[in-house]
Amino acid sequence: MDAAVKTLRVALVGVPNCGKTALFNRLTGSRQKVANYAGVTVERREGERTAADGRAIRVLDLPGTYSLSPTTLDEAITRDVLLGRVAGESAPDLVVCVVDAVHLPIGLRLALEVKRAGVPIVIALNRMDVARRRGVRIDLERLSSELGLTVVPTVAVARGGADALIAVIDAPRWMDLRAVATPQWQAPSAADAEQTQADLRALLANVGYEAPADSAWGRRVDALLLHPLGGFVVFAVVMFLIFQAVFSWATPIMDGIDGSMAHLGAWVKTTLGDGPLPSLLADGVIAGAGAVLVFLPQIVILFFFILVFEDSGYLPRAAYLLDRLMGWVGLSGRAFIPLLSSHACAIPGIMATRTIPAWRDRLTTIMVAPLMTCSARLPVYGLIIAAFIPARDVGWFNLQGLILFGLYAAGILSAFLVAFVLKQFGGARRYSPLMLELPDFQWPHAGNLLLGLWERVKIFVNRVGGIILALMIVLWFLATYPAPPDGATGPAIQYSFAGRLGALLEYVFAPIGFNWQISIALVPGLAAREVAVASLGTVYALSATGDDLSTQLEPVIAHGWSLATAGSLLAWYVFAPQCLSTLAVVKRETNSWRYPLIMAGYLFALAYLASFITYRVLS
Amino acid sequence: MNSCIPLNDLREGELARVSGLDAVSAPGATASEAQQLLARLRDLGFVSGARCQVIARMWLGGDPLVVKIGGSTFALRRAEASAVLVEPVQQPLAGQTRIPQNASATA
Amino acid sequence: MTQQVIVGVLVVLAAGFCVWKLMPARRRLRALLALDAFAARHAMLAGWRQRSLKPRIARAAGSGCSGCAANVGVRPPNRPR
Repeated sequence: MDAAVKTLRVALVGVPNCGKTALFNRLTGSRQKVANYAGVTVERREGERTAADGRAIRVLDLPGTYSLSPTTLDEAITRDVLLGRVAGESAPDLVVCVVDAVHLPIGLRLALEVKRAGVPIVIALNRMDVARRRGVRIDLERLSSELGLTVVPTVAVARGGADALIAVIDAPRWMDLRAVATPQWQAPSAADAEQTQADLRALLANVGYEAPADSAWGRRVDALLLHPLGGFVVFAVVMFLIFQAVFSWATPIMDGIDGSMAHLGAWVKTTLGDGPLPSLLADGVIAGAGAVLVFLPQIVILFFFILVFEDSGYLPRAAYLLDRLMGWVGLSGRAFIPLLSSHACAIPGIMATRTIPAWRDRLTTIMVAPLMTCSARLPVYGLIIAAFIPARDVGWFNLQGLILFGLYAAGILSAFLVAFVLKQFGGARRYSPLMLELPDFQWPHAGNLLLGLWERVKIFVNRVGGIILALMIVLWFLATYPAPPDGATGPAIQYSFAGRLGALLEYVFAPIGFNWQISIALVPGLAAREVAVASLGTVYALSATGDDLSTQLEPVIAHGWSLATAGSLLAWYVFAPQCLSTLAVVKRETNSWRYPLIMAGYLFALAYLASFITYRVLS
Repeated sequence: MNSCIPLNDLREGELARVSGLDAVSAPGATASEAQQLLARLRDLGFVSGARCQVIARMWLGGDPLVVKIGGSTFALRRAEASAVLVEPVQQPLAGQTRIPQNASATA
Repeated sequence: MTQQVIVGVLVVLAAGFCVWKLMPARRRLRALLALDAFAARHAMLAGWRQRSLKPRIARAAGSGCSGCAANVGVRPPNRPR
């Protein structure tokens, strides 16, 4: 415990969208995702920095909150950490209250409340560059003397923008001030809250703050984006463009990767000859993991758009547009952002539901989150669409992009339907608040965008090179051994462990048109959905007979499957509950086995039903 | 204080001054939820004397609507907006916290 | 024969890696802590413990997808029984 005595613990607190996370990145040098909508910071984030004199300083990024009177779990955590009420976590030695200089009132009110709780505090006046540009004048010295606190200007998104704050934090004097008094806080009465607001108004007048007028540009953009008709038109066009781009921009690069994988596989087989090792490399590693790697460009393009929306402030505006619809099916307005981030992966989406105050709303959101098309499903969709749908133009649009758009829409529609059904079970209509801040519209910061994309690329490549590669090696072993008996006729894989398992599973999946190869691939797909594509690659590479050295999956399935089977697999993947990590997160977030089991059950039933219908209709 | 209306009845673009908060009559809200809502509205700046403006409303009854207050912008559902009582003002007043002018005033 | 040995080693390594990665986060942390306790008793492991075990434990216990809820002693609010 010696180390704990010497380290200073600093906590960052502030309202959502004040640039707190960007400032945290500046202080600790750790690179994380910077977003622009309320409620992204749901995790406990801690970083370490080394002061000029070599001391270690621990910096904690607390969830954003408007007030110490919490309405959500996140906000309760912020308050409890500040007051030292969280078990195993003592109150921070110094609190940096991050206040957006452009929207000074709301941030400064929180600062007043934190200060009154008796916590040692300094104020970082963030986004000073924007404030200056928009003509906001703040008398910093006056603000500092009125509050009796250190006030430093910062620009979190600029290099060196936090230097003044760093100088303050690194100063050794905080070490001596620590633990002078224990923080005290009581829930304020209505009169207390009014008094705080009156104090705030006097303070703002004294420092010369005036709310900046909207830029004419920003007002015009908002008039369009928030318009009841125009807003929806823009929303639909934007969504369409994304799916068009995912197919048409990515194709050249994907063809390149695909081609080089095929060459590599053929080269390994011809150079190393026959034997288990070349088979492992070519059929397991290259045909399997390589089959997933091909989809990197599509995933990068999808995330590019998601990040642009986050950074620009478009997300809360879209949430506003869709709120009526979501309310009608019984979802809280706050559910939009968790559901949207479920398009990247359901796991952060489910964790983001912590910003939803009412338990019922939160549970409904968690239950429908896996219906959103996560990026791990993109490889499956991409593979089948490329193999079965011609790249024809329909009007202005590419047919492949249209089908992909349809699959995403099917996921969203079914989520609404399921939520509607859950609402019928839930009894009386409950009140649920929206109260969503719409941050200023702004151009996305190019550096943040690149960092965010780079992070996604790293995650994807790490997965392919890590868990997917390892699973493929295991699958290769199971699909190769035991070797077929002498004089066996069919492909060797049919006699292996995996082949026998596939034959068993085929009884279950034959009614919906899945052959034994697909049935095998579904099993390792439980670990992560995109692994199913890798598994298909390995299984088909091993079932290839004679001198057919192709390691390219797409032409093989275009040949081998009927359209009905392909459609059935697509329908399966719209619903399929095959992601153990998602179920594990649901178990943890709801603290019960009941909900993950219900979720797995209903998703499986829906998937089977949808595939059955699709298969019967198409064949 | 004679012309108090709930915020959700305010016309788009019209400037108003908050005259107080009223307990919500939202369907299904418990007393503690209503208290929590009022406290949060207060913390967001909806207190007597604050100036606000509705800048957008959805079709069919304006649910949800977008409100500017104290330099920030919030999307509120009807239930939340009805808890805020406002008094329309004819022209922007000179004061400490200026509300962004509406389109006709600056165009 | 050599090929079979290499393939065997690769398959065993891959299987071990899969088990490790797919293990529940809490159990993984416990396994790391057990490893740490073991390394603490052997002087020759001190360097490895400092270099690679420490940051791993910090990562498993702290940030990331597994740490947040397990670390903070809070439960979902308004949970019906």
